[in-house]
Amino acid sequence: MTMIKLIQNEWIKIIKRPGTLVMIALVIILVGVVGAFTKYSEGKSQQVTNDKWKQVLQQDTDSLKKDLKEASKNDPNRKFIEKNIAVNEYRIKHNIAPNEERNVWTFIDSTSDVIVLVGLFTIIIAANIVASEFNWGTIKLLLIRPYSRSEIILSKYLTSILFGLVFLAVLFCASLIIGLILFGPADGNPSYLAYVDGHVEEQSRLLYSAKLYLLSFIETFMLATMAFMVSTIFRNNTIAIGLSIFLLFMGNVITTIVATKYEWAKYILFANTNLMQYMDGAPLVEGMTMVFSCIVLICYLVVFLFLAFYVFSKRDVTA
Amino acid sequence: MGKSIVQMKGLTKVIKNKRIVSDLSFDIYEGEVFGFLGPNGAGKTTTIRMMVGLMSITEGDVIINGNSIKTDFEKAVANIGAIVENPELYKFLSGYDNLMQYARMVKGITKEKIDEVVELVGLTSAIRNKVKTYSLGMRQRLGLAQCLLHDPKVLILDEPTNGLDPAGIREMRDYLQKLTREKGMAIIVSSHLLSEMEMMCDRIGIIQKGQLVGVQTVNELINEESQTYIVEVSDISAAQKVLSKYSVEINEGDIYVQASREDVPEIIEKLVHAGIKIYGIKVNSKTLEDRFLEITNV
Repeated sequence: MTMIKLIQNEWIKIIKRPGTLVMIALVIILVGVVGAFTKYSEGKSQQVTNDKWKQVLQQDTDSLKKDLKEASKNDPNRKFIEKNIAVNEYRIKHNIAPNEERNVWTFIDSTSDVIVLVGLFTIIIAANIVASEFNWGTIKLLLIRPYSRSEIILSKYLTSILFGLVFLAVLFCASLIIGLILFGPADGNPSYLAYVDGHVEEQSRLLYSAKLYLLSFIETFMLATMAFMVSTIFRNNTIAIGLSIFLLFMGNVITTIVATKYEWAKYILFANTNLMQYMDGAPLVEGMTMVFSCIVLICYLVVFLFLAFYVFSKRDVTA
Repeated sequence: MGKSIVQMKGLTKVIKNKRIVSDLSFDIYEGEVFGFLGPNGAGKTTTIRMMVGLMSITEGDVIINGNSIKTDFEKAVANIGAIVENPELYKFLSGYDNLMQYARMVKGITKEKIDEVVELVGLTSAIRNKVKTYSLGMRQRLGLAQCLLHDPKVLILDEPTNGLDPAGIREMRDYLQKLTREKGMAIIVSSHLLSEMEMMCDRIGIIQKGQLVGVQTVNELINEESQTYIVEVSDISAAQKVLSKYSVEINEGDIYVQASREDVPEIIEKLVHAGIKIYGIKVNSKTLEDRFLEITNV
């Protein structure tokens, strides 16, 4: 189980750097700040459930049904509208008000926006893990060991992804704890109303939040892999980080714009990183499915990793 | 001589159509200190990098303890401990943590072994401090420690005395010689410090423009058959006449005579017989530097 030992080594090299602790502390503090803000602006935008909600919802549903009739058969919004109608009707039938009192689950869902920061830090770690060994010159001693280059680079990749997942878990736990402290657990046991296969199902909030976090992580995961590859090929972490940050913030925008004009936009990486589009909304480009996106993602992943491994294994080390 | 533990077979490196290293073939034996000598750009570092797998081999091979670096890298490199140029370590980790990194990569390195090696290089008191607080000499010693953890059969050291003070250099030299004698390690040293090489090495390989110019024992290189003796006399012109049989040169009031060891008694006898006073006679031994420059300036 030498891979475990290699990963242990890499983990130590990441954790023992002061910068890493700063990253983790920042995220936890941010969650705390968001919590404090949310809590103390309670008076301002209180969402009160009143008895009139059923009527409002019924009106909504009627208007949606009208939209549905008028929509063409191929309108991508059909699914979205159908979902909203079904959920509304379920609520009315089972007496579930649409707006919850603030509780730990609403908080956790709201802090899922902080995942961008987690993503950013993971990208930085992934971009540094190979390039820094070259910058420091420590790569020489690392490679004069009884391991193939593939094993070494695999251990580095796995460690950076592991770091991302652990960081994500830290965010989730911090949100859970701070959420419980500030807002308390939910009254009763509100479930998430998921629209599955044409009908509405009640699902555990915990499961839903966990899924939300994991799916949001996909974009980070793909970008971190890309950063890993770029920094391995160019032995330069600045290019890798710059490129990844640019894509992190602009990738979605650019892809959306391209999608309005060209159908091949569906092959772009960012068109496929948001798997939530198949659960909650409408696909970016017609004809895209969850399976399609998964296949596209796997293809990108294979290409990125192949390039990184190949270059690392074959290149002479002159550092 | 012990058995041959490293064999270079036609080792060649071509980069962009330029032959950086050309067809190097020689053996290195257990228990010897082998010096790698050559002017800048001769290909020493490239050769070392090929031996340890940092650079790919264009043609030929390096066999370490029976395993080929080309086809059996992991087995071959397990027998090597090496420092290439400066030993770079993780500055944000302690000396001990750095050693642990390398210890983890090999099975069977106990805490006792680490402590033993730390003691050997004299870092026991500083080993728990972060490497960024270390002096150059301390880093050099930690680098040596990392080489020795897994008891390799071959040590490859690029400029091992770099940054050490004279006491440190002496210690390093003694220590390396001890390793060869007691543990039968082969040590390959590449250095520019010719005087050090002279004192440390058993054999020296000279490389120039990527090619092996010669492999000789240190003694051979310095002591040739015929040597130059410097004779300090009272009457130079008279002495010159007496020594007409030999090739003689006058330099700064001394007579330089080319002769063999057996000729010395005869020279002295002749001078005494002619009534010339002799104040001293000594061997003008060429230093390694002289020989080195001689060979590489061909």
